[in-house]
Amino acid sequence: MLLEVRDLHVEFHTRDGVAKAVNGVSYGVDAGETLAVLGESGSGKSVTAQTVMGILDVPPGRITSGEILFEGRDLLKLKEEERRKVRGAEMAMIFQDALSSLNPVLTVGAQLAEMFTVHRGMSRKDAQAKAVELMDRVRIPAARERVKQYPHQFSGGMRQRIMIAMAMALEPKLIIADEPTTALDVTVQAQVMDLLAELQRELNMGLILITHDLGVVADVADKIAVMYAGRIVETAPVHDIYKAPAHPYTRGLLDSIPRLDQKGQELYAIKGLPPNLTRIPPGCAFHPRCPMAQDVCRTDVPPLYEVTESDAERGSACHFWRECLHG
Amino acid sequence: MAEPILEVRGLVKHYPLTSGILFKKQVGAVKAVDGVDFDLARGETLGIVGESGCGKSTVAKMLVNLERPTAGEIRYKGEDITRLSGRALKTVRRNIQMVFQDPYTSLNPRMTVGDIIGEAYDIHPEAAPKGDRRGRVRDLLDVVGLNPEYINRYPHQFSGGQRQRIGIARGLALRPEIIVADEPVSALDVSVQAQVINLMGRLQSEFDLSYIFIAHDLSIVRHISDRVGVMYLGRIVETGRDAEIYDHPTHPYTQALLSAVPVPDPEAREHRERIILAGDVPSPTNIPSGCRFRTRCWKARERCALEVPALAVPAEFRSVSGPAAHDSACHFAEEMRVVPPEDAGPPAPPAPPGSRGSHGPRSARGPHGAHREDGGGA
Repeated sequence: MLLEVRDLHVEFHTRDGVAKAVNGVSYGVDAGETLAVLGESGSGKSVTAQTVMGILDVPPGRITSGEILFEGRDLLKLKEEERRKVRGAEMAMIFQDALSSLNPVLTVGAQLAEMFTVHRGMSRKDAQAKAVELMDRVRIPAARERVKQYPHQFSGGMRQRIMIAMAMALEPKLIIADEPTTALDVTVQAQVMDLLAELQRELNMGLILITHDLGVVADVADKIAVMYAGRIVETAPVHDIYKAPAHPYTRGLLDSIPRLDQKGQELYAIKGLPPNLTRIPPGCAFHPRCPMAQDVCRTDVPPLYEVTESDAERGSACHFWRECLHG
Repeated sequence: MAEPILEVRGLVKHYPLTSGILFKKQVGAVKAVDGVDFDLARGETLGIVGESGCGKSTVAKMLVNLERPTAGEIRYKGEDITRLSGRALKTVRRNIQMVFQDPYTSLNPRMTVGDIIGEAYDIHPEAAPKGDRRGRVRDLLDVVGLNPEYINRYPHQFSGGQRQRIGIARGLALRPEIIVADEPVSALDVSVQAQVINLMGRLQSEFDLSYIFIAHDLSIVRHISDRVGVMYLGRIVETGRDAEIYDHPTHPYTQALLSAVPVPDPEAREHRERIILAGDVPSPTNIPSGCRFRTRCWKARERCALEVPALAVPAEFRSVSGPAAHDSACHFAEEMRVVPPEDAGPPAPPAPPGSRGSHGPRSARGPHGAHREDGGGA
C-alpha cells in the first residue's frame, strides 16, 4: 500500500466547543489507483486530506491520534523539515480554487520554476525551461509565451491545468485532488479530468479524489470511501457501491439524483440536515436522518462491519447493512 | 402552447467598454446578451442552461428589471415592461420575483427573517394590510417548511438549505405569477438540493407559478423543466421540450454539453464516448463572425464563418415530425444521442432521411471529432 491512514482523529477547538472533524478514519490507496472520498461539506473529507498532506492549521486543529503511513513511514512522527521534503516531491495536492491557490503577483512560470529551484537545486534558467515543458505537458497552448503571464490572465480551466502542472512537477507518487473541478464548467471539467487521469496513468501515481459529485466519482474512481460526520460510513469498489449500497446514507445520496423515469415526481430527499460537529448525535451519527433507524442506532456506534456477502473488500458502518444491501 | 405570460423578443444587453478619462470614448462592448427570444406559458417551467459567462444571469436580471436591456422587448401579458417606469413598473415587478443563487449573501445579516420576508410589504403595502403582515410571514415560513416560531431569528442561525427556503419565502411574499430562480440550488449540499427542488415543485402547483429556472446542472434542469433553452455566448442556440433537447439534441454545443456531464453510473464509463471541446469560450467582447460556436465546433465549415445561423427548426427536419424537429441554430444540425438511455432503452435512432452527411450519429463522436478530415478547421 502506497498510503495508509489508520484510525485518524482530528479536532478543532472553537468558541462553541470542540468540533470533532475526523473521528477514526482509515483508508488506503495503491500506486496507480484512484480512491474517491465522497462527502458533503463538514464530513471531514478535506480535513483528512490536509492532515495527510501536513498542511492542517495547528492550532486550531489538533491531531489526537492515528497514523499516516506513506510507504511504511509514519508521517506524523517525522520532523517538520523531513516532512517538507515529502510534501511536493513525494505527494502533492491540487486545490479547488486555483485562483486563490496561485500567487497573483508572480508569473506562472516563476511559480512552476520554484518547484525545481527549491527541491532540485536547479539554476533559474533550467527551471524556467522545465516550466515551459510542464505547461506543454498539460496542454496549455503557446506555453513559451504564456509562461511569462500572471494567473489572472488565464481562464479557470487553464489555471487548473497550471495547478496540475505544479503538482506533477516533481513526479510525486501520490496526488490529492480536493474538488479539482467543482469551480469549472462541465465542458472544461471533462477536459481537466481527462488530463488528470491520463497523467496518473502515465506516472502510475496514486490519486485521492475528494468530491461531492457522484457523477465524477463514477467516471474515474476505482474505489470509494463515503464520509459522514467525520467517519467513513461505507467503503467499496466503485461498481459495487452504485449497484447496491450497504449504508442508508449512500443509498439516500444515490436515490436523490434526478432520474429520467421520475420526471415530475418528487425527488427522494434525505430528511434533515448534516449534524453540527460540536454536537454529533450519540450512537450512529446518521440516525436522526435515517429511515431505517432502530433503538440500537441511537445508543451504539456502529463499527465498520465487513460486508461479507460481497466478493470484493467492502465495509459499512451500519448495524443493518444486510437489510440495506437487499432493500 | 397556452397563451404566453411572458414573451421575450430580441433581448440585448451590451456593457460599453470605454477608454479615456475626460473624453470617454466607447471602444467596444461586452456583449453579455446578444439577441435572446423565448416565451413562457402560465404554469410552465422554462429551464435555461449554459456555462458561466453565457449571459443566463444577465437575462434573469433583465427579467426582474435589475438591469435595463440595451435593446429588445420583454412583454408581460402583452405589455412591454422595459419601457415602463414609476407606478406601472412597480405593479409589474410585484408579479415577477427572483430567487438568488447564494443564500449566504442574498439575505441581510442584520435583519430578522420576519423583516426580510416582510420587507416586500413595505414597498407594496397594498399586498397585505398592516396588522396582518406578521401573520402572513408566519404562513409563508410554514409554506416553505420552516417553523413559524423562527420569525425573529437572524440568517446566520440557519443552514444553507434553510436560508434558501427563506429566499424562496421572500420571493413568494407578494404572490407573484412568475419566479425567476438563478441557480437556486447550486450552493447547497447534495442531500439538501433535492429538498429544495421538491419544495419548488410543490409551490408551483400550489400557487400556479411560472418558473424561469436557470442552472448549470443539466440533470436538475431536466427534472424540473417543461422546456429547456441552451445558451452559448449570449444567445440561445437550441430550445425545445426537455426530451427533445436531452434525447434528440441537434446542435453540436448541446451535444458536447450533454456528453460532458458525468453520469453517476460506473458501468456507463466504458461504452460512452465524450465530445471534448477544444479550447475555451471566446471573449464576449469579441464574438466570432457567423456562428458564435464555430471556433470550438468540429463541424465548422466556411459557411459558419459567414452566415449567422437562425434559431429555427433546421431545414432537414422541417418535413419530419418528431422530436428532432425543434429550434436549433446550426447550419449543419443533425441528431445525435449522447445521453445513454437508462436501463437499456431503445437504441439510438438512426439519423432521419435528409440529414446532412453520410456519417451516422456515431462517427462524429469522440475527441477525434474535432479533427475530422471533412469538417475540421474553422
